[in-house]
Amino acid sequence: MRDAGTLIGLIVILAVFGALVPGFFAERNLINILQQSSINACLALGMTLVIISGGIDLSVGPTAALSAVISASMLVAGVAFPLAIAAGFAIGLACGLLNGVLVAHVGLQPFIVTLGTLSTYRALALIYTGGNPVLGLPAGFRAIFNGSLFGLPLAVIIVAVVALIAWIILKKTPFGEYLLAVGGNEEAAYIAGVPIARTKIAAYMISGLLAALAAQILIGRLGAAEPILGNLWELDAIAAAAIGGASLMGGKGSVVGTILGAVILGTMRNGLTLMNVQSFYQLLATGLIILAAMLIDRVTRGRG
Amino acid sequence: MSPRLQFAGISKLFPAVRALDDVSFSVGAGEIHGLLGENGAGKSTLLRILSGVYRPTAGSVLIDGQPVTLNNPVAARAAGVAMIHQELQQVPRLSVAQNMFLGHPLTRGGIFVARSEQERRAAAALAAIDPSIDPAAPLGSLKVAQRQIVEIARALLDRARIVAMDEPTSSLTPSEFERLAKVIAGLAREGVAVVYVSHKLDEVFGICKRATIMRDGAVVGSVDLAQVSEKSVVAMMVGRELAQEQHRAHATGVVRLSVRGLASATKVHDVSLNLNRGEVLGIAGLVGSGRTELLRLLAGADRASSGTIEIDGKAVRFSGPRDAIAAGIGLVPEERKREGIVPLRSITSNMALASMGVFAPRGVIDHRRLKRVAAEKMKRVNLRPFLLDRPIRLFSGGNQQKAIIGRWLAAGTRILLFDEPTRGIDVGAKAEIYRLIEELAAEGHSVVVVSSELPEVIRLADRVLVMRDGTVAAELDRASLSEQAIAAHAIPQTKMQNGQVHAGSSAGPQARQ
Repeated sequence: MRDAGTLIGLIVILAVFGALVPGFFAERNLINILQQSSINACLALGMTLVIISGGIDLSVGPTAALSAVISASMLVAGVAFPLAIAAGFAIGLACGLLNGVLVAHVGLQPFIVTLGTLSTYRALALIYTGGNPVLGLPAGFRAIFNGSLFGLPLAVIIVAVVALIAWIILKKTPFGEYLLAVGGNEEAAYIAGVPIARTKIAAYMISGLLAALAAQILIGRLGAAEPILGNLWELDAIAAAAIGGASLMGGKGSVVGTILGAVILGTMRNGLTLMNVQSFYQLLATGLIILAAMLIDRVTRGRG
Repeated sequence: MSPRLQFAGISKLFPAVRALDDVSFSVGAGEIHGLLGENGAGKSTLLRILSGVYRPTAGSVLIDGQPVTLNNPVAARAAGVAMIHQELQQVPRLSVAQNMFLGHPLTRGGIFVARSEQERRAAAALAAIDPSIDPAAPLGSLKVAQRQIVEIARALLDRARIVAMDEPTSSLTPSEFERLAKVIAGLAREGVAVVYVSHKLDEVFGICKRATIMRDGAVVGSVDLAQVSEKSVVAMMVGRELAQEQHRAHATGVVRLSVRGLASATKVHDVSLNLNRGEVLGIAGLVGSGRTELLRLLAGADRASSGTIEIDGKAVRFSGPRDAIAAGIGLVPEERKREGIVPLRSITSNMALASMGVFAPRGVIDHRRLKRVAAEKMKRVNLRPFLLDRPIRLFSGGNQQKAIIGRWLAAGTRILLFDEPTRGIDVGAKAEIYRLIEELAAEGHSVVVVSSELPEVIRLADRVLVMRDGTVAAELDRASLSEQAIAAHAIPQTKMQNGQVHAGSSAGPQARQ
């Protein structure tokens, strides 16, 4: 139901740009939109799971940066690709684990914990690289993430697979039910025997892992890793999840909605750029879209 | 003389629902008028019209013979109507006085809040009813009963002519209720018309002279409570005679749960008990005697500091509810909204929460099996309406309770712990829950029922433990079971001599004077 509303929103936006921008519906451009949305979609999927659990992960950008610079410097040093990529994923998982433990076991508020680790992880990335970008990634590594399959960029396919897995997790596994229960009413979930801490920690670890995946996709595309990469990524990810129907109160959210939300944001950016709209106005349009989505949500569904 | 409050032909239509149908009755000045009916009978809708939240589709409200337009809560307040809600609408961090002036603070020059003047006036209003309350104290530091009194003082301060109270005593102890009853009687002496909504019939009989009974949005009748029996009032509420069912015992001699010297860090000291297969064990005692805390220890929700628990002769240790559930114990908590249900999720999801491992043997939920089991268990507990995909928050309290019971049936639980199993539940649904508990016992489940309602304990229990100060003060078998016997053991001796405390909400004599 809610996803249908998000889809209608996307169709309206597509129609508007289709009418205003010649060549907007060209296959090349549509693929572009998907590619440009893929990194945010990847982060937003992890964010959705965390938000459903009743938390938030503000540290995804710096987690991605830390993962990126470590993978990149291993690649430059000649470490085998799988090992370097695995190291990047491990960094993402570790960042998520720390967030999760501080939230679930120490009992700190998710906003504050990830605000703290946002600075901490960014600082570690800067300290590790001395503030300089890691340049000269091997061409073979870049080829992995820049390839394409069935005419679609590999990055898009990877994120589509991640989305499918996230959808299965949420709809078909006990962990998905636990996420919804913990975010929906933690005390009741506890009495019903839901493993609260494990569920929350897993959500943050998935978010960290997906941030690391987004980092690999990005450095593959750019051929370099900057320690300042991923600045403000968390905001786009939260926006995509919220447009898609996730409630920041927890207990509610949708994988399909989040993907549509990420594509809506990507479409806005793509269309406005093609129309040569100044970046200030692009920012304005993005802000208004988020507010409009929330307003429509409230008006159509009433309270709660 | 025209009555202080009169409802004249009030109807309220919602899309597809006629919530109120031609409701008429009146309440005189100085009268405490009971308003009775099952959940969904229309009491809350009527109170919302009185307090300006809803506007009637037809009919009018008259105060002292004058029709009044209550378009919003501010207008209702200006007309002299004060509402005291079941869930108190107060701000715990603000002071008592600040809460009493919430929304219309006294100011100096319209800019600065005149705190000391607020506190002086608050103290004056409180002096009449409970001088022990400090107007400067943070409201959150007060007990629920005192907070209720603050709300009443606020009504006095507003010079309310009509006070409507919605389930004011749902979380009060008997002695607190008696205090409240005196305050309400005081209000009535001042000429205030009081509309008193409660599920507890004995309370209504105790403090009201007349009562209006509603069913399905319409008035069934207004009665003089001195002329009618509780039984006939219940029949008016539910539209049929509820068979007064007798206790049936199914207990066997086989010990299932054995507890020795169980204690927690705070409220439970040295509790030992046995629970047999098919037995319903009642636990009575005053609020604060450690009953709820004992159940939480048994359910693994809190950690025991010492003592042992054995199930079927095997020692068990719980580090969380998960362990207790695995050992076959499930808790049906007192506060359903807070500890029982996940409101946005469906009946099926709420039911399955405790037995996910069963429904997902290979990591992925077998939805077909889940649906089948949900249908079976919800039929078993007689869920109404039978809509398994509907969010549980849209169901009545009684049906939410049935879903929670179904949760434990699905999890294969053998020991069910009920904390106040019928709190906030209709009379009709109450009888169903009782029958369900008995059937569970007959099937061989072992059941513990903690309850403040002595008739409930007596109706259900094969044996009763009376708790006092965190320990078992007495054990009563059915032969020696009576409200008086329970009360005698539940009350600390010193207090009993003062004659202040009465066990159980229904230990009526004092309350009915």
